[in-house]
Amino acid sequence: MAGLKDRYCIVGVGETEYSRQSARSTRAMAVEAIRKAMDDAGLSGAQVDGMMSYQSGDSIVSNWVSGDLGMRLNFYMDVFGGGSSTEALVGLAIGAIEAGMCNTVALFRSMNGYSDFRIGGTGARAAQPVRGMDLAQVPFGMRSAGQNFAPTFMRHMYEYGTTSEQVAAVRVAHSKHASQNPKAFLKDRVTVADVVGSRWIVKPLHLLDCCLETDNATAIIVTSAERARDLRRKPISIMGVAGRVNKPRTDFHWAHGPISRVAGYYAKDIVFGQAGIAPDDVDITGSYDAFTFTTMLQLEEYGFCKKGEGGAYVSSGIIELGGKRPNNTSGGHLCEGYTHGMSMVIENVRQLRGTVDDYCPGAAEGKHSYDYATGRCRQVKDPRITMNLGWAMPPTGSALILHN
Amino acid sequence: MPSVEYRGMNLVIPENDSEWREHFKLARQHHQLMLRKCAKCGLLRYPPSHGCPWCPSQEWTWQAVSGGGHIYSYEVVHHAIQPGFKDWTPYAVVLVELDEQRGKPTTDEALRIIGNLVTADFRPEPEANVAIGKRVKAVFNDLSNDFALPQFALTDEPPVGRAWRFPG
Repeated sequence: MAGLKDRYCIVGVGETEYSRQSARSTRAMAVEAIRKAMDDAGLSGAQVDGMMSYQSGDSIVSNWVSGDLGMRLNFYMDVFGGGSSTEALVGLAIGAIEAGMCNTVALFRSMNGYSDFRIGGTGARAAQPVRGMDLAQVPFGMRSAGQNFAPTFMRHMYEYGTTSEQVAAVRVAHSKHASQNPKAFLKDRVTVADVVGSRWIVKPLHLLDCCLETDNATAIIVTSAERARDLRRKPISIMGVAGRVNKPRTDFHWAHGPISRVAGYYAKDIVFGQAGIAPDDVDITGSYDAFTFTTMLQLEEYGFCKKGEGGAYVSSGIIELGGKRPNNTSGGHLCEGYTHGMSMVIENVRQLRGTVDDYCPGAAEGKHSYDYATGRCRQVKDPRITMNLGWAMPPTGSALILHN
Repeated sequence: MPSVEYRGMNLVIPENDSEWREHFKLARQHHQLMLRKCAKCGLLRYPPSHGCPWCPSQEWTWQAVSGGGHIYSYEVVHHAIQPGFKDWTPYAVVLVELDEQRGKPTTDEALRIIGNLVTADFRPEPEANVAIGKRVKAVFNDLSNDFALPQFALTDEPPVGRAWRFPG
């Protein structure tokens, strides 16, 4: 986005409840989340003329949802995708507006990720016939995300001496943050001992190394800085974006080592180059935490610490509220709910506004105690720059840098 | 549509699956790992694909490899997702680096294949025997007259580098 830095903004965000029994359609949830984002921005249906979403055959399409919101779209596109799509679609929304196809774009992801198409792979997903590239892995009992990623995590432990206790600190930090988040599905704080004492899923992953499965919809609205000036909220400016950057081969990335290297290796130069900043300038990170390890790998690959030192970094206290650079202040996928990444962008937008929805009585007006004890505050004091690190799988990722 | 039932899964290989149909059929016929070899630059590749990743050629021949290699990484599944694997847990999925073409054409590249680490009767090898670096060879589980599933079994050879096992 050469020359487009700060020319586009996120102006509205919204989501449904995080539950395991939504008892309603992905269409109904999408409508609620987008309407909340429109209300947040102060936009009517007539003022939103673009929509995009991502899914894997488990959701509803933009051009049906839009009618329920009083929109007539000049542009829509629903893409196949999961994690790392949010940041990529922010970039594509900028492109659509810049191309003159539309003016304001709502992005959404809606899923019954627990009660219907379980994200973890059991049920409908496990029952699918195995064909094409799936034949390279699925016949060997390697189907779920955890099963697909675990050899990457294991090799990192072999190469760098990373320990289970180190990465467990990611779960500990995110559970601390979730204890300040009324929306979080899991609000209880956990310890390193709780994580490494939980049952095995697929070694080296314990149960608590894995994220939640939840039902929810999430939405964000992107428009030009010019258009954003008239809207309800202080716009949050987009400094840089990298969308679904890949390692050399993603159908079978094992062929291209080091397999402990993830896509951020390539994405970081794009996104930091656009934004004109360095990792040290970032106040808050939102790192895709499908697993504790994914956050560790991404923080390390984007240069928040040296390659191989991710375990030490995430267990140092830096990523906790009150630390130098908190990560996933909402509790993220590990504790708040699983959204395929959009919730972490929503959280960073709210952090930059100073109006995170914690337990502070004056939170909506930006009055916070900055007391990070359980059930209190999760607002970071005066953050200026946030970064989202999106993950689809080890060889594919996205990134987004925002400022207020 | 041609298909094979295996551990509760329906493995579907239509006649127009120009990547995988011959791969599994050749494994059944020869009980050897057969990889595609670029007719122009001579490099082997896996998975089977039509275009060479390293040169413009779309021509290839099938080339047998030794089936020898070592465990480059692995995982041990305790909570099976697929119903047909419940009675296999805990089972190891191994990423095997083959002996041929290691570190070529770049130092980061190699021929690597996913399989299970199995005993002689195609049961999962006990977890205590799995480690990065251990030597393995390809073995073939015949599932039909046209389909053998390549798996890996331990050999007596010394490990490649240090043998490393997840401590947990």
